[in-house]
Amino acid sequence: MPEKIVLDGNEAAAWGARLAKVDTVAVYPITPQSGVAEALSTFIADGELQADLMDVEGEHSVLSVLQGAAFAGARTFTASCGQGLAFMFEPYFRCPNFRIPIVMGIVCRDGITPQCVWGGQQDAMTVKEVGWIHMHCENNQEITDTVVMAYKIAENHDVMLPVNVCFDGNFLSYAAEPVEIVDQDIVDRFLGEKNVNWHAALDPERPMGIDPLTGLTPEGGAMFSRYRRGQCKGMQNALRVIPEVHREWKEMTGHDFAPLIEEYRFDDAEYAIVVIGSMTGAGKDAVDVAREKGQKVGLIKIKTFRPFPVNALIQTLSKVKAVSVVDRSVNFGWNRGFLWQEIMATVPFLQKKIPVTSFIGGLAGTDITVEHMLETINVAENAAQGKVVEETIWIDQL
Amino acid sequence: MQTKYLIIGSSHAGLTAAEEIRVHDQDGALTMVSMEDCLPYSPTILPYIVEGKVDEKLIYLRDEKYFTDNKITFLKGKKVVTVDTKSSTVTLDDGTKIEYEKLMIGTGSAPTIPPVPGLKEAKYHVLRTMEDARKINQAAETAKHAVVMGTGLVGMHAAEGLGKKGLEVELIRGRRRAVLPNYFDGNAGKLIHQVFLDNGIKCNLDFQVKEVESVNGKSKVTLSHGEVVETDLLLVGTGVKSRMDFLGDASGVQVDQGILVDTMMRTSVENVWAAGDVAQAADFYGDERILTAILPDAYEQGKVAGLSMAGDETVIQAFEEIGGQASESYRGGISMNTFNFYGNRSFAVGLSLVSEEDGFEIDTMLFPTSCMYQKLVFDGDFLVGAIGINVTLDPGVITNMIRYKINLQGKKAEFARSPLDMSRRIMWESWRGAIKTAG
Amino acid sequence: MGNAYNTLAVYPEKCNGCGECEKACAKVKANSTDVVHSRIKVLKSLEDGFFGPVVCMQCGEPNCVKSCPAGALSKNPETGVVEWNEDKCVSCTICTLGCPYAGIYYNPLMSTVVKCDHCGGDPECVKVCEPKALEYRPEASVYNDQGDLEDLFAPGLAACLGCNMEILVRHVLRHVGPDTVLAAPPGCLPGVCAVGFNGFTGSKVPSFHPLLTNTASMLAGLRRYYKRKGRDVTALALAGDGGAADVGFQSLSGAAERGEEILFVCIDNEGYMNTGMQRSSTTPYGSWTSTTPVGPSLPGKANDSKYMPLVMLMHDVEYVGTAVTAYIDDFHRKVEKAYQASKRGFAYLHVFSPCTTGWRYPGDKTMEVQRQAVATNIFPLWEYEKATGKLAFTHPVDNPASLENYLSMLGKFRHLSKEQIEHLKNTAAMRVNILKAMSEQGLAGYQNLKVAV
Repeated sequence: MPEKIVLDGNEAAAWGARLAKVDTVAVYPITPQSGVAEALSTFIADGELQADLMDVEGEHSVLSVLQGAAFAGARTFTASCGQGLAFMFEPYFRCPNFRIPIVMGIVCRDGITPQCVWGGQQDAMTVKEVGWIHMHCENNQEITDTVVMAYKIAENHDVMLPVNVCFDGNFLSYAAEPVEIVDQDIVDRFLGEKNVNWHAALDPERPMGIDPLTGLTPEGGAMFSRYRRGQCKGMQNALRVIPEVHREWKEMTGHDFAPLIEEYRFDDAEYAIVVIGSMTGAGKDAVDVAREKGQKVGLIKIKTFRPFPVNALIQTLSKVKAVSVVDRSVNFGWNRGFLWQEIMATVPFLQKKIPVTSFIGGLAGTDITVEHMLETINVAENAAQGKVVEETIWIDQL
Repeated sequence: MQTKYLIIGSSHAGLTAAEEIRVHDQDGALTMVSMEDCLPYSPTILPYIVEGKVDEKLIYLRDEKYFTDNKITFLKGKKVVTVDTKSSTVTLDDGTKIEYEKLMIGTGSAPTIPPVPGLKEAKYHVLRTMEDARKINQAAETAKHAVVMGTGLVGMHAAEGLGKKGLEVELIRGRRRAVLPNYFDGNAGKLIHQVFLDNGIKCNLDFQVKEVESVNGKSKVTLSHGEVVETDLLLVGTGVKSRMDFLGDASGVQVDQGILVDTMMRTSVENVWAAGDVAQAADFYGDERILTAILPDAYEQGKVAGLSMAGDETVIQAFEEIGGQASESYRGGISMNTFNFYGNRSFAVGLSLVSEEDGFEIDTMLFPTSCMYQKLVFDGDFLVGAIGINVTLDPGVITNMIRYKINLQGKKAEFARSPLDMSRRIMWESWRGAIKTAG
Repeated sequence: MGNAYNTLAVYPEKCNGCGECEKACAKVKANSTDVVHSRIKVLKSLEDGFFGPVVCMQCGEPNCVKSCPAGALSKNPETGVVEWNEDKCVSCTICTLGCPYAGIYYNPLMSTVVKCDHCGGDPECVKVCEPKALEYRPEASVYNDQGDLEDLFAPGLAACLGCNMEILVRHVLRHVGPDTVLAAPPGCLPGVCAVGFNGFTGSKVPSFHPLLTNTASMLAGLRRYYKRKGRDVTALALAGDGGAADVGFQSLSGAAERGEEILFVCIDNEGYMNTGMQRSSTTPYGSWTSTTPVGPSLPGKANDSKYMPLVMLMHDVEYVGTAVTAYIDDFHRKVEKAYQASKRGFAYLHVFSPCTTGWRYPGDKTMEVQRQAVATNIFPLWEYEKATGKLAFTHPVDNPASLENYLSMLGKFRHLSKEQIEHLKNTAAMRVNILKAMSEQGLAGYQNLKVAV
């Protein structure tokens, strides 16, 4: 029987890495991620995880040592957030281009300044465009399971891309929940033999030059473009692989998580709210309450944010007349949320244009309550009836 | 048997040629034939064997391992009988036929026997092979008296050796009325002659041998003035000739006093080379080809022959194109030798015998009482010859000054005052490129 | 490959004709004070002050050996020394006819020829040669040790004419061997083919292009995993001074502190030469660079260089060495020590590497610039081994050569004022004093040092 233990989100992530039997773990502390580093260090200290603990001098090196280890063939894990992610950015934005299957937790944190060390998705949303797969979790069970599944996705030969398992700082990182730990032998069978560097290795037995200079000449430019197209293809392949992996995981463990997006109470929904991460719980509660009141509302949870599951969303959005999108980060260029922007980019693919309202809230570790969510439902209902709010609605101003 | 390279003779010319071949071709089958049944040695060592200065066992120039390591088939105790250049086949005295691709003849020289009446029928010794030396040593064990015919290097050297063994020695000149007339001038010859006399060697240069007769195991030598000398040991050292009797006319190899070769040591017949005493090669001074029969020329020529036989085609081709003046080619023989006698040392290099009448400028320094002599011969601003007896000079450095035609630029007098320091300095500066050589 | 041999090198320009070598030779070879027994002779010309030691060259193809009818001379295939066998010699002196260098000659007191035998590999004459006109050069051992090893770098490369990097990369790779992963962060080295262009690579070992900032970290992860898997793969960095002392310093320092098993070679060309000669923290005081230009308001770089070797030593790493390719035997010795140390912990080798293009000197002077940097104490050669706790000079320079001469070789220093030169002298002296104190008193020595320069 699988055991159920109480874990906070950081521990849940560490458990995922432990189950995946990673070889190299790099850690550098930062709030609210430090618990991941601590839990992994403890696993290794206690001999429960046979891995190198690389307690390096900064996030920049965290990801760098993992890159080196991955080229040697190691399965690798780390986690960071906020300023740590910003400092890591140089190796971070190169990582997918290396096509190495590193898995890293982003314990989402808001950006400074003003100074702030608490939850918010500004960090993950800011770095989303450099080629990592981003999957956002709703609860601690999903964190553990998604970390395990992330290896299977990242190491898939049709994908070969690094994966960020994102979960909200404070709301998940520090929230204790019972988590069912899948039997190790099931995980072992699920993941199978690792083969991290079959395609690109730094191995004297298979000497090759990693990352030669390209470009400038037409031939060099063609090589560069071919490489980029390959990365894009890997991303698109992930949209096929991620559901396959989730299906398999469900079959082996009974744990059922929507791989790309989740439709909640969508049977006869006329409008919906779009959420991501830990706010999903409050959103689902609000939908339940609204349904009680007779509002025909559904909920769309975005699990996979990169690659963006545009086809799945087209199908879902086609069922409703309006949506409210709740963002936990700020897209300064649009004066709205990042998720809103993504939904807006999907709308032209629909047969009929629908209104999309942007909500921004839950910044700097503040809560998004059921009440807030009920308001987003009301706005969606109004929009479905033609009363569209054009401006961004800041939840703290409700 | 078949071989790519066949070298007849295993002294300096043959050994150096083999070494050079192996520089360019490590695997080509290489065969060396020696008429003597022993490891290679230098004929130059033989007088020292007679003198007893060195043990016979020590003087071999290569050991068996050398031949194994260098993949050389060494056939010893085999004489070449004929050379058929048409079929590229050499026949040995045991009937073995060796087919070669490239042949080098380095058979050296054999003693000449002067046409003295009775000599050929009499019992006499020569000194050209190890066997000769052994026989002399054997005879010397019981002999009390020896007559040495010839005042060349072999004769002089042997006279000293036999004298040191306790024999009473009478040294009698050959055709020319001097000691070592090929190398040393009158002044030098007199000094050397005197040292021999002082050491108890009987040597009157006025006489020659008129007749020889064998009587009761002894030799009766009648001298030109009628004196009859009875001796236990008669040694003939009156000169040498090229050893090339196996080359019949049919071989097509052109010969004169020796085998005629060009500056790549090629004979007139394709795929046949010659080097060493047997070869009649370029003269450093003139256009005539000459026999030098000296050791330094033997290895110089052997090296050139080896290169030419095995060398890289482009080197050979370049040599052809520039008309045989490549640095790899033979630069022409310069007469040179050293002669050490009774603890004295001497050397003669280049045009050591010429006189002022021949248009040369000559600087001499002679101290008869201390047996010292220095002669420097200049042609204009160039040193062309030198003789030294008991003077401190570097014969090799002097030789190179001659060979590379170092221009003394008006400093002849200075040079004559301190030839050691100046020659060394010139050597120093010339090999470091400070002085451009004409060579 | 055949054997190469150590050399008794003669530098006539340094000879002052003192004759100590002759005395030492006569003493050791004949136990005599009469220099006639010396096998080395000093040519002296008082007229024009010419001095030149004359001694056997131990020729590759010795004519004396070929001349010898007695087999008494032979070239030792192991040592290269032309050996004379007294038992075989008949004193015919034909060898002296063969030798064009006066290397073998007749000693009338001994009645034999004599010649130099290198004193069995430790020549006495060299020891007494005050002006260092004689040097026993053991570089041949490098060839003998390394000659048969595979060159792990491409036959051709795209460096500037006279670039020091080619010799450096070839020697280092050859030495550490094929079980190596090479990290070549941005700079000239990856550009000249270490990582390669458009899919082709110039190195035969796996190589990669880390960030300028994370060389040590990437290697650390790699090495750790191989070690976990039981494989001994050498983690080698060939990084420039920017990738070591500037932006790469954090990861370098971190890896050093953690004792990561890395062989980190810093190729210090005193600036960002690849991007167009900008200053780095190892650019010396006063130096021109394109970002420390010289004009009426600015006289070149305003600060002293960061002295990385000592900075790294203070990380308590396994090995720190300073080296130049101009002293290639010393270089290899240090690469070997660093290589061995990198199997136990962090090893740091700082190589002073002149840049013909950026420093503005002719390409054929690369070796000379290095030698002068050593001779002036601008770049002292030393090493520190944690195993022994000792810091030792490997090429001590007690009387530094003229710094002005060194500076005048390099265009980047041509503008220096007297005061600036004085400043550089003081910096060099101060560093040497610190190193001396540490070599004499241990690592704490610098604390006792009263820097008075």
